[in-house]
Amino acid sequence: MTTQVLTAGQLRRQRLALRAQGWRDFLRRFSRRREGVIGVAILAVYTLLALAPVFFVGPLETAVTASGGRLEPPSPTHIFGTDELGRDMLNLTVHGTRISLMIGFLATVVTVSVGVVLGVISGFVGGRTDTILMRITDFFLVLPTFVLALVLTPVIRDALGGGGEIFGIRVSLLVIVVAIGITSWASTARIIRSQTLSLRGRAFVDRARVIGAGPVHTMMRHILPNVINLIVANAVLVFAGAVLTETALSYLGLGDPFQPSWGQILNAADQAGAPGLGAWWYLVPPGASIVLVVLAFTLVGGALDDVLSPKRTGRK
Amino acid sequence: MGNRYILRQVAQAALTIMMIVLLNFILFRMMPGSPERILLGRNPNVTAEALQQTKERWGLDKPLLPDQFVAYVVATAQGDLGYSYVYRGKPVADVLAERIGPTLLLFGLAELIAIVAGLSIGAYSGWRRGGAVDYVGNGISLILYSMPYFLIGMGLLVIFATGLGWFPTYGMVTPGATYDSTWDQVVDILAHLALPLACVAIGLIGQYSILMRASVVETMNDDYVTTARAKGLTDGRVLRHHALPNALLPAVTLIAVNIGYVVAGAITAEKVFNWPGLGTLTVEALEARDFPVLQGIFLLLSISVVVANLIADLLYGRLDPRVRT
Amino acid sequence: MSGPLPPAMSPPGPPTTPGPPTTPGPPTTPGPPTPAEAPAPAFVPVRQRRQLALPKGADPDAPLLVVDDLRTYFTLESGVVKAVDGVSFRLDDGEALGIAGESGCGKTTTALSLLRLLPSNAKVVGGSVRLFGIDLQQKTEKQLRRFRWREISIIFQGAMNALNPVRRVGEQIAEPIEHRLGVPHDQALVRARELLELVGIPAARAPAYPHELSGGMRQRAMIAMALACDPAIVIGDEPTTALDVMVQAQILELLEDLREKLGLSLILITHDLSVIAETCDRVMVMYAGRVAEEGPVGPVFATPRHPYTQMLLRSFPDVEAGRRDLGTIPGAPPDLRTPPPGCRFHPRCPVALDACRTEVPPEVTFADRVRVACHLYPPSSDGTPRVVPVAGELAAAAKSPT
Repeated sequence: MTTQVLTAGQLRRQRLALRAQGWRDFLRRFSRRREGVIGVAILAVYTLLALAPVFFVGPLETAVTASGGRLEPPSPTHIFGTDELGRDMLNLTVHGTRISLMIGFLATVVTVSVGVVLGVISGFVGGRTDTILMRITDFFLVLPTFVLALVLTPVIRDALGGGGEIFGIRVSLLVIVVAIGITSWASTARIIRSQTLSLRGRAFVDRARVIGAGPVHTMMRHILPNVINLIVANAVLVFAGAVLTETALSYLGLGDPFQPSWGQILNAADQAGAPGLGAWWYLVPPGASIVLVVLAFTLVGGALDDVLSPKRTGRK
Repeated sequence: MGNRYILRQVAQAALTIMMIVLLNFILFRMMPGSPERILLGRNPNVTAEALQQTKERWGLDKPLLPDQFVAYVVATAQGDLGYSYVYRGKPVADVLAERIGPTLLLFGLAELIAIVAGLSIGAYSGWRRGGAVDYVGNGISLILYSMPYFLIGMGLLVIFATGLGWFPTYGMVTPGATYDSTWDQVVDILAHLALPLACVAIGLIGQYSILMRASVVETMNDDYVTTARAKGLTDGRVLRHHALPNALLPAVTLIAVNIGYVVAGAITAEKVFNWPGLGTLTVEALEARDFPVLQGIFLLLSISVVVANLIADLLYGRLDPRVRT
Repeated sequence: MSGPLPPAMSPPGPPTTPGPPTTPGPPTTPGPPTPAEAPAPAFVPVRQRRQLALPKGADPDAPLLVVDDLRTYFTLESGVVKAVDGVSFRLDDGEALGIAGESGCGKTTTALSLLRLLPSNAKVVGGSVRLFGIDLQQKTEKQLRRFRWREISIIFQGAMNALNPVRRVGEQIAEPIEHRLGVPHDQALVRARELLELVGIPAARAPAYPHELSGGMRQRAMIAMALACDPAIVIGDEPTTALDVMVQAQILELLEDLREKLGLSLILITHDLSVIAETCDRVMVMYAGRVAEEGPVGPVFATPRHPYTQMLLRSFPDVEAGRRDLGTIPGAPPDLRTPPPGCRFHPRCPVALDACRTEVPPEVTFADRVRVACHLYPPSSDGTPRVVPVAGELAAAAKSPT
C-alpha cells in the first residue's frame, strides 16, 4: 500500500468531505425514524411562531388593546376565544410561544454550559477536584431542585430590584433562567463526566499529552468534539425539562403578566376561575402547546439517542 | 443485608441533610432586609428592644461562622424555624404541621396507587411488546409524561367537576358544612380527594409505566432470560422469577431519583384544586413573600426527599445482592 | 480446470449417507488430529443409559438428532437477515460435534433455532429438526417446552450474564429439577448440590450468588445446571471463550470427563478450532449461514477440502509447524441481508470459479464421511482435496511469470 503525502489544503478538504459525509449519514438515519421527524416538524412550527410572533398575529394584546369581550368562547373572529380581559387567546398563545421557548432556550444554554464545563473538568482532571465536584453534583441531584428554584427566584428578584429588558425578555423572567440554570446542571454534569472518563483512557489523549498539549487545549480540542453528540442529545431533553420547569414556576405565580409565557397564561386562567367556569378555551391553547412542544423534544431526544448510539437489535 | 451497607447509606443521608441545612442557612443570609426583622415578621409594632433581643437570641451580633451557623443548626434541630409573616408571628413549625396532613394523604395514596398500577402496566407492556394495547398505552403514557401535573388537574376539573358535576371543584371539605357523623365527613373528604388524587396518580402512572416498560424490555434481552426460557419454564415463571426481579432494580432507582420532580408536580397539583396542603401553602407564601415559611418548606421537603431516597436505597439493597458486599 | 459444471442442483438436501452404520464412531484422541484408529469405546449409547424415559412418540431406532435444511431469518427494519440458510447435520449418540466459523456465521442462531429460543424478531422459516425422530419444528410452543432442558440443554457463553444475578446458584440449578421434573423443593436442592460436586464445585458454595463465584466456577455451575434434567444433548455455546487458558483447559477436561461418565452427546460451538480438535469427534464449518464442510475431525483437519476451511486452519498457529506468517482471510463476511448469489464465500475465495458466482454449490459426501459444499468438488469428483495456495504465494506467482 502506497502512502500519500497530502498538502495542508488537501488534508483540510479531506476532513471537510468526511465531515459532510458524516452529516449526510446522520441525516439519512435520523429521517428514518418517524417519531424524530414528527418531533422536528412540531418544533419547526413553534420555532417559527416564536421568532416572529408579531408577523403572525400582530402585537401582544394588552388590557387596553383587547379585541373582544370577556371570556368569549371560540368564534369565527376569535378562533380560540378570549380571556377575562377580552384578549384574543390565539394572540396570547403565539406570543407566549416566544417567551416560553426563549426562556427554555436560555435556561438550557446555562444548564448545559455549566454541566459540560464541570463535567469535563471533573472527568478529565480527576483526583480530588473530581471527588469534590461529584459530591456537590450528587447533592444537587438529591435536592428537590424545583423547590430550590422556587425559593431562589423571589429572593434574586427582590435583590435585583427594578425592571428592564435583556434580549427582549424582562429581567424578572431572566431570573427564572438563572434559577433553572443553577438548579438543573447536575445530571448533565454527571453524564458528560462519565463520557469524559471513558474518553480520557483512549489513546489519542495520551498522544496529545506526549506531544506536549496542555490540559485546557486537550480538553477543548480532543475531548469536547467527542462529547458533542452526547451534549446535543442531552440538551434536547434539558430543553424539555426547562420548558416544563418554567411553566410550573410561572403557574405558581412567578411569571410576568406583562410578558406572559404559557405557564403564566394558565396562572391567569386559574385566577380568573376559568376551570370552574368551564372556560376550556382558556386552557387548551397554552396547555396543548406545552404538551406538543415537550412531546416533540422527547421524541427528538429519543430519536437522536437511537441514531447516535445504536443499541443491539438482537442476536445474529 | 450487610450492616456496613446500611450504615454507609445512613451516613451519606445524614451528610446530605447537613449540607441542606447549610444551604438553608446560606439562603437565610441572602434574604433581603435584616435577618432580625425577618425573624420577627413584618410586625409594625416591633420595638428596638425586641430587635435587640432577637439579635441576641439568634446570635446575630456574633460572627457568621461558626457561631451563627451553630445557633441556627441548634434552633432548627429543636424545631424552631422562625416565625411566619403572614400568620402574624405564628411559628413556622406550627404552620407546616397544620398543612402537612392533607399533603401526606393526597401524596401517599397517589404514590401507592401509582406504584402498583404503573409498575404492573409497565411490566405487562414490556413483556408483550407490540400489539394494540402496547402502542396505545405507550402513546398515552408519552403524552401524560409531557403534561405538567397541573394541566392534568385542570383538564380533570373542567371535565369531571365543572362539566359533569360529579365532583366538587375546590378544597378538601365543603366550606361551612356540618356533619351528622364522622362517616359523612369522611365521604365529603373523599369526594374532594377524588380528582386531585386522580390527577397526581395519573401523572405518576404515566411516568412509572414508561420506566418499567423500558426496564422490562431491557431485561428481556439479557442472557439469563434466554437461559430461563431454555430451561422450559413457563412464561409466567420466567417473567415473575427472572425478568421482573431484575427489571425492578433500575425502576426502583429511577423512581427514587424522580421523587424530587414529583414534589414539584404535587405542589402545582394542589394549587389547581386548592387542596389545603403544603403545595397551596407554598403558593400563598410565595405571593406574600413569607420567606420564613418558604424556607421552612424547603427544609422540610428537602429532608423528606433525602429520607425517601434513603429508603429507596435500602430497598434496593434488599433486592440486589450485588451491592451488599 | 474441468469443463462446464452440471446445472445447478436442488438446494442442499440431507447428507448422502455413506456406507458405515450409525453406531458411535471412535473418539478422537487429543493431540494432532490423525485418522482415528483407536478401538471402539466401552460406553453405552445414551438412550439406553438414561434414567428418564424417552419422550412420547420417540422412535428408538431413529438417530439422536437430524437437522435438515434449517432456515432462520431475522427481520430488522433495514431488511431480512438470512442468518441460517439451509443448514443440515446429524448428531449420533455419545458424539461430540463441533460447530466452527467466524462471528456472525450463524452458529449460535443454529443452536437456538433447535429449540426455538430465538429473539422476537427471528423466525425459523424452514427445515426440520428431528430429535429421536420427532420433528420439533412441528410442535407448538407449549409442546416444545417439554423438550427444552430435558432433552436438549444449553451452556451459554459468558456465564456472568447467563446466570440470574439476583438468585442463588443452588436455587437456579434446582429450579429445572423442581419445576420440570416435579421433584419437591428440598430434594431438588440436594440434587443440585450433588451436581455441583460433580462439576468440581464444593456443595457448600450452593447458597452463593453468581457474582461471588470466579469465572471458571460460574461456567462449571452452568454446566451443572445444564445437566440437571439429564438431557440427551448438551449444547455449549462458546463455553470457554471468556475464560483464560488455564481455566479453559480445566473446563474442557471436565466436559470430556462428563461425556465419558454420563455418555453425553455434545454440540460445541466455538470459533476456536483447537478446542474442537481436542474435544470433538466431528466438526462442522459454517460460513455465512451455510455449511462449508463437515466431517470427522481427523480428515477435516488433516486434509481440509473447502477453501474456507483451509484458510481458517491456516490462520491458527500450529505448535509443531515451523515459523510462518499466519494467513488471514481477506475481506469480511457478507451482509446477510443481501448475501452474494451462488456460493456465499466466492467474493473472498482465491480460487473461485465462474459457477461459484451464480450457483449454490451442492453438498457432496465422500468416502471418509466428509461432506463439502464447493464447486471444486462436484458430485463426480473423487474427493481429492484441492489445496488453495497461500495469499503470498499467489501474489508471487502473479508477479513472476514462470
